[in-house]
Amino acid sequence: MVGPNVTLTPLSRADGSASYQCPSTGSNILGSVNAPVELPGRRDALKPEEATVEVFVKPGTAPAGVGERYVEGIIKTMISRLILGREKGYPRRGVVITLAIVGGQPARRGDSYLTLLPALLNTSLLALLSASVPMSMTFSATSLAVTSTGDILREPTAEVANSAASVHVLAFSSKGHLLLNESQGAFDLDTWDNVRERALAICRGTASFGSDGDVTMTVDVDGQPLEGAIREAVEDQVHRDYAWSIDAV
Amino acid sequence: MADRRRINGPPSGTKPPVFVSSTKAKERPQRQRQPNDLRKLFLKTGLIPSASGSAYLEFEPSASLSAARSSPQSLIPPSSALKLACTVHGPKPLPRSATFSPNLVLTTHVKYAPFAARTRKGHIRDSSERDLGVHLETALRGVIVAERWPKSGLDITITILEAEDDRWWGDTPDSHDAPWGMMNVLAGCITAASAAIADARIDCIDLVTGGVAALVSDQSAEGEASSPRLMLDTDPAEHKAILSACVVAYMPSRDEITELWLKGDSSNVSLEKGDSRSGHDALIDGAVDAARGAHTVLAEAVRESAARHSGLPVDAATT
Amino acid sequence: MAPAAAAASPAAQPTPPSLSLPPSQFARLQPHAYLLAHLSPPAASNHPSIRANGRAPSQFRVTSANTGSLTHTNGSAVVRVGETAAVCGVRAELLHTEDIASWSVTQPSAGSANKRRKLVDPTLKASETVGDSSEDTYDEDESHIEDLNLLVPNLSLSTGCAPGFIPGAPPSALAQSLSQQILSLLHSTRLVRADDLRIWYQPPNLGPEDLERHNESEQMDVDADEGEKNREIKAFWVLYIDVMIISLAGNPFDAAWASVLAALRDTKLPRAWWDIDNETVVCSDAVSDARKLTLRGMPVASSFCVFEADAAAGWRAVILPDAEEERKIAEDNRKGAQRRWILADPDGYEEGLSQERACIVVDKKGGNGKTVIVKMEKNGGWAIDSRELRQLVDISSQRWDHVRQILEQC
Repeated sequence: MVGPNVTLTPLSRADGSASYQCPSTGSNILGSVNAPVELPGRRDALKPEEATVEVFVKPGTAPAGVGERYVEGIIKTMISRLILGREKGYPRRGVVITLAIVGGQPARRGDSYLTLLPALLNTSLLALLSASVPMSMTFSATSLAVTSTGDILREPTAEVANSAASVHVLAFSSKGHLLLNESQGAFDLDTWDNVRERALAICRGTASFGSDGDVTMTVDVDGQPLEGAIREAVEDQVHRDYAWSIDAV
Repeated sequence: MADRRRINGPPSGTKPPVFVSSTKAKERPQRQRQPNDLRKLFLKTGLIPSASGSAYLEFEPSASLSAARSSPQSLIPPSSALKLACTVHGPKPLPRSATFSPNLVLTTHVKYAPFAARTRKGHIRDSSERDLGVHLETALRGVIVAERWPKSGLDITITILEAEDDRWWGDTPDSHDAPWGMMNVLAGCITAASAAIADARIDCIDLVTGGVAALVSDQSAEGEASSPRLMLDTDPAEHKAILSACVVAYMPSRDEITELWLKGDSSNVSLEKGDSRSGHDALIDGAVDAARGAHTVLAEAVRESAARHSGLPVDAATT
Repeated sequence: MAPAAAAASPAAQPTPPSLSLPPSQFARLQPHAYLLAHLSPPAASNHPSIRANGRAPSQFRVTSANTGSLTHTNGSAVVRVGETAAVCGVRAELLHTEDIASWSVTQPSAGSANKRRKLVDPTLKASETVGDSSEDTYDEDESHIEDLNLLVPNLSLSTGCAPGFIPGAPPSALAQSLSQQILSLLHSTRLVRADDLRIWYQPPNLGPEDLERHNESEQMDVDADEGEKNREIKAFWVLYIDVMIISLAGNPFDAAWASVLAALRDTKLPRAWWDIDNETVVCSDAVSDARKLTLRGMPVASSFCVFEADAAAGWRAVILPDAEEERKIAEDNRKGAQRRWILADPDGYEEGLSQERACIVVDKKGGNGKTVIVKMEKNGGWAIDSRELRQLVDISSQRWDHVRQILEQC
């Protein structure tokens, strides 16, 4: 399986940005993060001890509607739990995440956005990293469809998802917690357990713990785990950004 | 023009169903009450615990409606009965952007549910809903002791779940026609808001209630129009021609009116024999009588609210 | 939450003799400690672990439902879950196919929706037979509902249901999300049958009665379509499903969904036919002619939230335990003091104290009553994983039995 196509910091004006293309669904997301920023218009909503996280999802072809509000809520709930909003400089300020759906199929009315959600989540993580927002852990997200015959398909396109018996989006933290689950369609828990196992393999690989506590990731059918791909993209970027310093040594 | 914040129906719009005439239910519902009999009111406070005060008000279904309910034959309801919920939030600090006010700032908001009336209502307030809000505010402003809460705001929100009909559904609008149902709705709003304000323990100078009276010229059985009669608490679906109607917000113990809304032509009306009052005098008297009738129900609801507040430990009712 | 309450209460209370805070004030000042104290009473005392509202952790609030009380609706329901109340009204209007811009273009060639689905036809056929194994008939062109926007649910919170929602303002993000969730669940459960919403017309000159009888027999047997080549759809019913949350005290989704379900179960559509003379669709107002919707199943939603003993754990301890370690800690904790509680059907107070939420929608189908999960969501934390979800599904399926009783009685 081909890994995602990731570019870090494609936008120069934003504090942090990332573009993410998922090869199998074709969705292409451009995300930017501005943090910490003052939100003068939201003075009443600001929390005294924490940063306020705001997420905006912009579909490529139409103005944002009810469906976008819903995904924004999902992303916001998940991300706010990971951002260390009490670090210095963050309380009473905002973390503004803007995600534009640049390519791929637009969501239809009443769609649950499940096929786009992993790409949106991964993009926001990369953009947050690019903006150096302190977070307690990183994560990776994937979507899976279970067909009526019980096959589990990775990152289904909208058509496949429409015809599948159930569609699942799962996100795992870098420490193995299940951070998010969004499942829709008829299924039972045993199916879901298989889905969870497969999603864990996709996101984190079949992890084995090294003696020093580091996690080494192994490659299996699903190719490089998503988390590794994200980690590598960030490492490469850091390498490029600090080339001058590394060369000087 | 699609509303991006709501879920929209088909872009080409939809049409309400058209019913072919069937013989049943084609008759105008008849008023079974005496001219000065009021419909029963159901009024209960404190149903919405997160609000500082709340009230729910329901009119007793008319005889025709309850008959249609118990043995349904037609899908077209003969008439409808007002149902509304009122909440009071506050007194609370005014928003930062508001200018200084030495008094309590009253905000009233009346909204029909989309399914409240015979035709589907929009999600955005239309002019009649704004109108009702303004009338309600006038009615309540004179009652609340506003000086007690400087720099504070009080939000009164009314959601109408079922409205009164403006006319019988079988009638086409005629020259006498006006949104008569709105007046009944306003009277209900005033009574419910009054109960909710009392439930929120806001100081008032009196308990204000709303009442409606109308001058009706119904055709008698022989087919000839009789002289206009004064009716209290009219259900517009039950009358062929309402000449004029009046709604008042009335404070019984002070015998004062805080809001008066009179619609229609009442100047040249000659009432029945022995009644020398002019049309509008009779109307206002009738509306005040109707308001007096609602007052007993209101007083009972407020008494119940007071018992609930004192019987429970501190503010348990609001958490 | 409500400063007014504090202002209003002293009048009702006889003067407190000491400086100690009454419980209700403590609850307002130290909400987290207050709920924690209820859930983990000192071991010495004999108090059971119970929520501040007196419920056991997996206990739902008292639920009641009432249908058909609104006059101007095709179906309506009032559902109260504790102090949260939702009113739902279903209103049916007509959409003529001649008003659908793309109808004449797409329809003769098997329909717009079919094209989309044809791409994945093999899987499609199979999945739908499974999804509907317990149902009698299956309508192969369900996508009309989604493509033509035949279901229009909207939820309103600007009813003064709770402080903080400005009446008259456009729907808040919460209201929009809830509307979207309802629509998405209506689509994914395929609760409403497209065939219930179609109004057919058979060109040969049959009287309306004949036509109707004809249609009915067809619905029984979709395959027998030899003589019906020229049968066409003239209009659709569009269901406007409006939910007004009258009182909000936590967990709006469960109440809203239950009210939608109850209202749809109550919904009656008038008999409608194409009137060739007037070139329009007319309806019969006779109640005896009207028919109820035949819904697919009865999905019931149950929501949960997670209350954590250490509210600050998420940000203060930067080194969070691993999932594996976490499981070990959880194991130890089960013997000793608990530090997380999964609370069913949270009220507003509990929702304010928790970040992690879960919502499970289950249905039971067929004679064996096997639980099918229709939707499962969890977000906002890491306390709920497979083991917990398994428990929650069990609780949700018990809840299903309970809600079914309530809905069937009303």
